[in-house]
Amino acid sequence: MLDAAIKKRFGVNGPTGFALDVAFTAGEGVTVVFGPSGSGKTTTLRAIAGMVTPDEGKIALDNRVYFDATAQVNLPIQRRRVGFVFQDYLLFPHLTALENVLYGIRATDEKSRRARALEMLKLVGVDHAAERCPLALSGGEQQRVALARAVGSKPAILLLDEPLSAVDVATRSRLLDEIAELQRRTRIPFLYVTHSPADAARIGDTLLVLNQGRIVQQGKPLEVFNAPLNVPAAQVAGAENILMGAIAEHQPEQGTSVVDLEKCRIIIPRADLPQGARVTLGIRADDIIVSREPVTRTSARNLLAGTVKRLLRDGGRVELVADCGVDLKVRITPHSAQALALAPGVPIFLLIKASACHILL
Amino acid sequence: MIWSAFKISLLVVSLATVVVSIAGTALGFLLARREFPGKELCDSLVTLPMVLPPTVTGYYLILLLGRRGLVGRYLFALTGWTVAFTWEAAMIAAGVMALPLMVKSARAALETIDPRYELVSFSLGKGEIETFFRVTLPLASRGILAGVVLSFARALGEFGATLMLAGNIRGKTQTMPLAIYEAFISGEDHTAQALAVILTLASIAVIYLTNVLTRPKKAQ
Repeated sequence: MLDAAIKKRFGVNGPTGFALDVAFTAGEGVTVVFGPSGSGKTTTLRAIAGMVTPDEGKIALDNRVYFDATAQVNLPIQRRRVGFVFQDYLLFPHLTALENVLYGIRATDEKSRRARALEMLKLVGVDHAAERCPLALSGGEQQRVALARAVGSKPAILLLDEPLSAVDVATRSRLLDEIAELQRRTRIPFLYVTHSPADAARIGDTLLVLNQGRIVQQGKPLEVFNAPLNVPAAQVAGAENILMGAIAEHQPEQGTSVVDLEKCRIIIPRADLPQGARVTLGIRADDIIVSREPVTRTSARNLLAGTVKRLLRDGGRVELVADCGVDLKVRITPHSAQALALAPGVPIFLLIKASACHILL
Repeated sequence: MIWSAFKISLLVVSLATVVVSIAGTALGFLLARREFPGKELCDSLVTLPMVLPPTVTGYYLILLLGRRGLVGRYLFALTGWTVAFTWEAAMIAAGVMALPLMVKSARAALETIDPRYELVSFSLGKGEIETFFRVTLPLASRGILAGVVLSFARALGEFGATLMLAGNIRGKTQTMPLAIYEAFISGEDHTAQALAVILTLASIAVIYLTNVLTRPKKAQ
């Protein structure tokens, strides 16, 4: 269990300065640190690793104190046992994939070190490239080796700083699931920094939303994205609803598929994905129509019944959070909210065109 | 004369190169990776012999290390030995003249290495020394080797500062460049020519080596 309270000031006060002030705990599973660039995600991660020294605060992992400003404790990086994975992999270019993994493995005899390094490479599926140099590997393979290297050193926590922003979408989708699987197998807590809502929803067990150096919301990823608690959180979460499910059935003659979201079903405009495939869907909050009555004769393929959960007023628009089995946020004008007499608890119907549901991952 | 000058040059230059390579890499590392007060002043002081006329550097070395010099007087009082006019003096002169090239090359080579490689190594539980020898140094090795070759060349060609501090004593402090001068002055043209050819060949080898070492590595 990571217990962190970090305060760090950069530059002078006022508009040019930046102050990070976060306090959180991160336990089992993958904790995603989400926020726009400049929100303090990377600084938070670097402070935990010991690459940045906070001005104030305390960082401890399982009762081992890494940093304590009042007690003047500041363990150097090499004594913290934190694995760190960078966006650009940073494999040692003068060593092969296997040697990169071997570098971090502590064991007495050469034979068991080698066996463990190979096991690590196998765990991430790049044992075939053990003898290759980093330059001869694809981006995805390099990041897999970097993961093997970090996990091989038996860290007490693994910190990942936007590890997948340099790989293509297909590889990213696969690697996200593999990283989640790696966490379940190793049982090391992962702290995963990203600014992609789809990545965050796909991999995160819990989510910390950072904005301008503060945590604005904390919770399950889908709740955070689809049911923001407050205006700052809604602003950071963006316009997209994120839904996760599996392809339930194809409708080839329509060119559509039905996605099972457990508590409801959504029709999407694609029929090329295999049945059972996991998908992460995006539906923009502006693309959803709210109705007080069930609309029957409509071109919209998706009609969901639900109730209003809350309304957030942000300047000239209203963000409505609806509970339709899954949470969905909808952006409407204040005029609509008034005309339909929308308030928490009011039953509503949401209309969503199939073509407004797109696959993110 | 050729043979003795060759032997003295070889001894003086190889020892000077070894010392300069180690000291220069260490200094280059400090300048590239650490912040300390007077850092740029330190860089300027080390670089000074590159810009100063070699005789001026030699003169300063006498003021520093001569029998009545700032440091030399204590050395003399303690041991009764003075560095001036010994082969060690030739080595010191060559080293001081070569050091700037080594420090500049090492600093430049180390500054191009992404410091996050070192952070990765620390996070894998390695200390600073192990990280330096297993990550930083190998990554900067081409630039550092190029610095070693350049330092070797500079030490081999050293004339002015050596003449000031070590004099021109045949069989004792007379290196090849000094021997060429003496041979030429005393009309021994063949000796001068032979020495000039040796030094020219050595210089061509140096240029070739530095070019090979500093050429960007091709992706495999």
